[in-house]
Amino acid sequence: MRNSLRFTGVGGQGVLLAGEIMAACKIKDGGYGLKTATYTSQVRGGPTVVDITLDDNEIRYPYANEGEIDFMLSVANVSYQQFKNGVKPGGIIVVDPNLVSPTAEDRKKWIIHEIPIITIAKEEVGNVITQSVVALAITNTMTNVLPKQSLIDTMLSKVPAKVHAANKLAYELGEKYAKEAMTN
Amino acid sequence: MAREEISTGNELCSMAAIDAGARFFSGYPITPSSEVMHVASDLLPKVGGKFIQMEDEIAGICAALGASMTGVKSYTATSGPGISLKAEQIGLGFIAEIPLVIVNVMRGGPSTGLPTRVSQADIGQAQYPTHGDYASITLCAGSLTECYTQTVRAFNLAEKYMTPVFILLDETIGHMHGKAVIPDLAEVEASVVNRATFSGSPTEYKPYDVPMNKPAVLNPMFKGYKYHITGLHHGHEGFPTEDATQCEFNIERLVGKINTVAAENDGLDDQPDYEEYMMDDAEVCIIAYGSIGLGAYEAVNKLREQGIKAGMFRPILLWPSPAKKIAQIGARFKDKIFITELNMGQYSKEIERVIKRDDFTTLFKANGRPIAPSEMVAKVKEMM
Repeated sequence: MRNSLRFTGVGGQGVLLAGEIMAACKIKDGGYGLKTATYTSQVRGGPTVVDITLDDNEIRYPYANEGEIDFMLSVANVSYQQFKNGVKPGGIIVVDPNLVSPTAEDRKKWIIHEIPIITIAKEEVGNVITQSVVALAITNTMTNVLPKQSLIDTMLSKVPAKVHAANKLAYELGEKYAKEAMTN
Repeated sequence: MAREEISTGNELCSMAAIDAGARFFSGYPITPSSEVMHVASDLLPKVGGKFIQMEDEIAGICAALGASMTGVKSYTATSGPGISLKAEQIGLGFIAEIPLVIVNVMRGGPSTGLPTRVSQADIGQAQYPTHGDYASITLCAGSLTECYTQTVRAFNLAEKYMTPVFILLDETIGHMHGKAVIPDLAEVEASVVNRATFSGSPTEYKPYDVPMNKPAVLNPMFKGYKYHITGLHHGHEGFPTEDATQCEFNIERLVGKINTVAAENDGLDDQPDYEEYMMDDAEVCIIAYGSIGLGAYEAVNKLREQGIKAGMFRPILLWPSPAKKIAQIGARFKDKIFITELNMGQYSKEIERVIKRDDFTTLFKANGRPIAPSEMVAKVKEMM
């Protein structure tokens, strides 16, 4: 079973880290995971796309096959518009509604959930940097591709100890909002 | 025995360099190679090595060549534009026979090109990076594991053949993050090759007085063995000469110590020069290398699911090319050869030279984007 996930944003938002954590978690659990990023030569603000491929069997090609992506999360409109077509029809897309504006046509083609990821990180966790962990929790809650505790352990191993509490909170909030979005 | 690392190609490359015995890095950062340098700056001081960020690319290779002349295994890392700047000193490395590993993480060109985008446009540059006659050794990593193992191999070949050696990565393989299964440190250390030295009387030491097709024997500087190092043609002790017989011998030896030796021994060492995947019963052969081999592997699997017996041939030692094997593939597959690369056909020219035909199908791309397995599948289906 292959899972193909995509995170999109702009350079500097930290979308790379969530992808690295997911790939590392899958590998630690005995499978194969690859993360690859495509970005522009702008230092900040250029569209960035991160593809994550997870499989129990060997994966070599690190990019998502366009049209076969199961799940995409986006926190920037420029990259949402540029990369949304990689998602398979009926696939799940999560957007931050303050930053991304899906069209009516998009809503017919994909299951689109709106979760204010940046606001949750900034106001409820109190640290905007934790947005990548909010995104991580939303992604795993909606796709269920990785064991939750294993993912949290991997995440904590990649962030400094002094922000462990904030990141644990970010994960719990992301999970809560994802569950709410799925029941609505 | 093996160990597992979760890392990127660039990071694995620098880890390998240090495990292979490198203790000096000098260079100048450039996307998409900079992480090779970052890891060098982090790890070298911890093992008693030295790291210097120089003022530019040219100084970066000059310092690395100088360090190597003292007997310290050295490397530098850059991308295509940096190789262009280093070209003159790479030539000094060739003619003076100074071992050095040069990492090139390829991006789109020419000139500054496409800094953050993937490319394989430096294949020709790696074969002939500078003026004059010489033979290049170029390895191309096709997986995270090979970013490690081929870097170790590059150091061993540099020491064995006393020459600069290129290890090519590209933006995709340098930056992708995943699992690499790499040999244990003890195994790597047991495989390490160190350059030959002369232990006789210093008065009898003639570093360049070696037989045809053999590398020079350069003792580390400052150890009591005096000789001259120059980019000019030189005689047995390294001093300039214009003697016609000597100059002819020099060039024949520089080319022959690599190309003739590789042809006579079917390669330069006992490591695999290529990967074959599903080739036993294949009816169509995809030829790809570096990160394009990652997609070709998936394309072979997809084609087989659809009943097409595809196989992949992926060269690892690009220069000198595994010509004997390429010739066999040419004879076996006739017009059922599909070559795909991220340039306008730089390695296809080598395939054409070896098999003496150009009836293969190609898919080239030079817009900074990878080649998807689906694009390869579509092309192969057109051939069947």
